[in-house]
Amino acid sequence: MNAIIAILSSVISIVASWTRKKATWPLRVIHTVRLTVQQVRAGNRSVLDLAKTALGTGSALAVLAVLMFPLYWIFAASLSAGTGLMSTDGLFADPTTYNLDAYRWVLFESPFVDALRNSLVVVFVTVSVSMSVVIPGAYALSRHEFRGRKKILYGYVLFTQVGAGLSIATLIALYVLFNSVGLSNNLLVLGLFYAAGAVPFNTWLLKTFMDNIPVSYEEAAVIDGAGRWQVIREVILPLSKPGIAVVLVFTFLAGWNEFIVARTLLRPENYTLSVELYALATAGQYDTPWTQFSAFAMLFAMPVALIYFFAQSYVESGLSFGGMEG
Amino acid sequence: MSTSFLERVSAVSQRRLPIDARNDNLFGLLLAAPGVALFLSFMLFPIAFLVYLSLTDATHAGTVIGGDATIVGLENYIELVTDAQFWTSLTVTWLFLAASLAIKIVLGLGLAMLLTHARVIGKRYMRAVVIIPMGLPAIFIVTVWRGLFSGARFGPFNEILASYNDIITGVVGLFDQAVFFAAVSAPELLLVDLPISWLSGRWSAFLAYVMTEVWLAYPFMVIIIVSALQDVPMELHDAAKVDGAGYLYRFVHVTLPAVKRPVMFASILTAATSFQQFLIPWIFNGGGPSRQNELLIVYGYREAIELNQYAFASAIMVTAIAFIGLFMWLAVRKGDLAAGVNGA
Repeated sequence: MNAIIAILSSVISIVASWTRKKATWPLRVIHTVRLTVQQVRAGNRSVLDLAKTALGTGSALAVLAVLMFPLYWIFAASLSAGTGLMSTDGLFADPTTYNLDAYRWVLFESPFVDALRNSLVVVFVTVSVSMSVVIPGAYALSRHEFRGRKKILYGYVLFTQVGAGLSIATLIALYVLFNSVGLSNNLLVLGLFYAAGAVPFNTWLLKTFMDNIPVSYEEAAVIDGAGRWQVIREVILPLSKPGIAVVLVFTFLAGWNEFIVARTLLRPENYTLSVELYALATAGQYDTPWTQFSAFAMLFAMPVALIYFFAQSYVESGLSFGGMEG
Repeated sequence: MSTSFLERVSAVSQRRLPIDARNDNLFGLLLAAPGVALFLSFMLFPIAFLVYLSLTDATHAGTVIGGDATIVGLENYIELVTDAQFWTSLTVTWLFLAASLAIKIVLGLGLAMLLTHARVIGKRYMRAVVIIPMGLPAIFIVTVWRGLFSGARFGPFNEILASYNDIITGVVGLFDQAVFFAAVSAPELLLVDLPISWLSGRWSAFLAYVMTEVWLAYPFMVIIIVSALQDVPMELHDAAKVDGAGYLYRFVHVTLPAVKRPVMFASILTAATSFQQFLIPWIFNGGGPSRQNELLIVYGYREAIELNQYAFASAIMVTAIAFIGLFMWLAVRKGDLAAGVNGA
């Protein structure tokens, strides 16, 4: 009990300090507004100029609101269990009737928990296998010259650009092959498959990241008498932490998000979250349980969105060092 | 082009450590080998097997495993080009790609310009919000949009159109009261006939596909265009202003040249993913109605998994992979031109 409280309080303090550091915008808004009022009073700034800025900001906000409508809808729907959503007039239920019944249903009555366990097995295999081949591979491609290196790099670059759709094309062959050896309904094999698919992009990503680590650090370590493994352990790995974090996120997403291969290969008892979500969404043409589906979808997407949110600066820099950014 | 690209890519990594070179060779190879082996066995081997399958007469999984399949040469490919469904599928795939790409570029450019504009306050936060769809699982987005396009009377989009109808009727009603001597009623042309079964009509389903695809992929466009726009020195705009250039002139001669190459690169990438789009048609209505909107990958998947035409489906998939390969080659070539390959 004490441990839980300790963990909770430390989490709260981390969040609080993060908020203090990052979310300074209310203060800045107040400051800007005060400054603007002063400027207009003093006649340094015309009202027309102010109106233009207001118009620009307002239209940007309006566009954002339209674009984000689906997310708002799904969020509102997940809170509207039993309020006649999609059966009476009005897009959204009355906010005063919002409740958490749909979430309770998902957690305690739906196959969510079993599917979550399956998903976690798959993700664990994907992440651990791909990390254990991507890190050494990226290091070798970045720092060592060997026969076939250029061929490997070129192959990886090709598959870096487009990869996901290929897996459906190869799915037919895989389905046959896996069936013939009785491996089709196997979470470990599925995780292995995702890991294989994640190799080119993530190796390339990490390799370009490692390329930017100055070789002089390693030279200094070698001169100080460090061996080959020591250089890797004490220079390369610590310096590539941000890159490794990005690879971790991407491989996690590869296992968590995939749907069609899982749906084709797995039997119902092994369904992952994405497959259960699909089953819920297509339960019926007109009687899809929308509120329950929304709650399920929110719980499915939430971890991903959170990871993405907190890793955003990492991921964005990941995109640029992956050569994806113009 | 491609060799020099690789040379530049590996230029940085050419600087090796002063460790024994002969040993080094084997060491590096050993480190890289597991990843390559994993990738080969789960990606390239199935592709090779797929090519083999496409040359046989396998029908269901059993014939493949039981060894009943015999080589029939290019028969499947001949059947493919004479299959009307193949041409329907290929046409609708390219149509889908073109329509969604055009909208993505326009929307991405518009959003990027809006979110880098000097008159907009809080741009950084808005940019973080606008790329949210990128951080969501595709299956989540597609199932949610399926809900939005629900054909039920109270489906979200039907609901929005219903309120649009109400507004039109309301406006015309006001007009009717103002012009008291004539009876004016809302013209049928402006009203929408509800409910629309979005996913049961060919073109309405196609529209739904395109809208969803755009929403899935526009954040990538926005990120790339925003970073390109931020690289344009403000002095260029100022200089053009001083020279008396209007807004349109500056857009054509300052903004467009700056974003042309990044947009082209991003277009190739998102076009490649649109070409392979599977989830949207599959989840919305299975490529329907009556197989009219079956994108290429859906067509192949259905022939194999549902109709048990493995060899034929393999021929479809090999064709699809050939197209995808073309995109990959284009992306590497043009990506090099566009970006000069960052970090290399």
